[in-house]
Amino acid sequence: MSHIEFTNLHKHFGHRQILTGTDLALTSGQCSLLSGANGAGKSTLLRICAGLEKPDMGEVNIGLGRQAWKRYRCMLQAEAVYLHQQPYMFDGSVIQNLAYALPGSTPRARHRLRISEALAWAELESIASNSAKTLSGGERQRVAIARAWLREPAIMLLDEPTTNMDQEARRRTMQLLHSLKQQGIALLIASHDPEHFYSLTNHWLELSSGRIENVLFVSEQADNVIPLAQSQRAIQ
Amino acid sequence: MESLLSASGQAIHLLFKGDAELWNIIWISFRVSSLAILLAALPALLTAFLLSYSRFPGRRFLISIFSTLLSVPAVVVGLTLYLVLSRHGPLGDLKLLFTQTAMILGQIALCFPILVAMGHVAFQSADKRAWETARTLGAGPGRALLTIMREVRFGLLAALLAAYGRIIAEVGASMMLGGNILHYTRNIPTAIALETSKGEFAQGIALGLVLLILAFSLNASLQYFQGKGQLVS
Repeated sequence: MSHIEFTNLHKHFGHRQILTGTDLALTSGQCSLLSGANGAGKSTLLRICAGLEKPDMGEVNIGLGRQAWKRYRCMLQAEAVYLHQQPYMFDGSVIQNLAYALPGSTPRARHRLRISEALAWAELESIASNSAKTLSGGERQRVAIARAWLREPAIMLLDEPTTNMDQEARRRTMQLLHSLKQQGIALLIASHDPEHFYSLTNHWLELSSGRIENVLFVSEQADNVIPLAQSQRAIQ
Repeated sequence: MESLLSASGQAIHLLFKGDAELWNIIWISFRVSSLAILLAALPALLTAFLLSYSRFPGRRFLISIFSTLLSVPAVVVGLTLYLVLSRHGPLGDLKLLFTQTAMILGQIALCFPILVAMGHVAFQSADKRAWETARTLGAGPGRALLTIMREVRFGLLAALLAAYGRIIAEVGASMMLGGNILHYTRNIPTAIALETSKGEFAQGIALGLVLLILAFSLNASLQYFQGKGQLVS
């Protein structure tokens, strides 16, 4: 997958319309930052992209043509990994949590190698045998990212990945996100604190009134942010 | 008081001398109840899972039905199945009445609602993120279900133990469906009822002791596993 487009996504809960014709494009090796007020629909959009939530209406363009949602859902669940704001850790050690992401058919030697790689990549060696449920917020996030990384996904969808983290934990998480981007994974990050992600972001999208109203393009460097007024455009 | 002590002494003597008749009754009890729980567990827990994780019309109604069935007396379950299995009943041709199979059916009917109701509570207590995390990490519905079952295993274990405790000690359904036939359908509760009515308290107390030890073992094991769970989470 190098490019995936979601067009005209609609979603409502009860009487409340959350998404009203949202368009979104994700590209390999690029990071899109999604900001918006509380309840704007950021998490809902991420969950739709992950195949965990069915939109009321909309299309997914991944070169499969027009398909039923069930087919898209299978494809999205195979390609995308969604990380909750507070990642869920299964009962067991960090290693057991990482192992969950590996297919059962993985040969034992490769299984061990991949786990070692993930532990080293996310700097988790020192807590490898610890119970995952007893980890701090920052450690949980790193385990969750490493676990997702083991799935070798094309898309990673992160919901407020650095909320309530201290500076060191945030720095380590950002390192991992940079590494994921360099590996060609498409990132979509929902956050209230866009300034933390400037150095990572290619596109800054603002979700408002159920649509992505404004797109603020951001270069690789934080100090090269293009002002909103110059680049503002409606997607539709 | 003296007669109680003397009967208890005889009961312990009966148990330890390996009285064949007594141990046969105990064996029938465990066999019937274990088979019933084994057969009921999977469909009941799957039903509990569907009631927790699926949204379909009539879901709440079904939950209410299973909760109501919790308080149906064993003898009513026995009577209903008796009518179904008796010669003129819809399943009369199967000739199951007064067999261990009929007792197993009765005990399945008794433990199913307990497993569903308590399993439902256990699944409801699971963090919703657990299912989503499993699915987003590539687990199919089956593996994700097993993951959730593992996450709430102490609640499910409590459901299994409660259901087992209920059926191994029930007398109404077993009496009506099994007929209390010696060496065939006489189990611990029906034997206690019979021996007591005959004034043979020793065997009744011996069997009562077995039930008491069983109840204690089940509860002790539940406490042990729940204790272990608290250490981890």
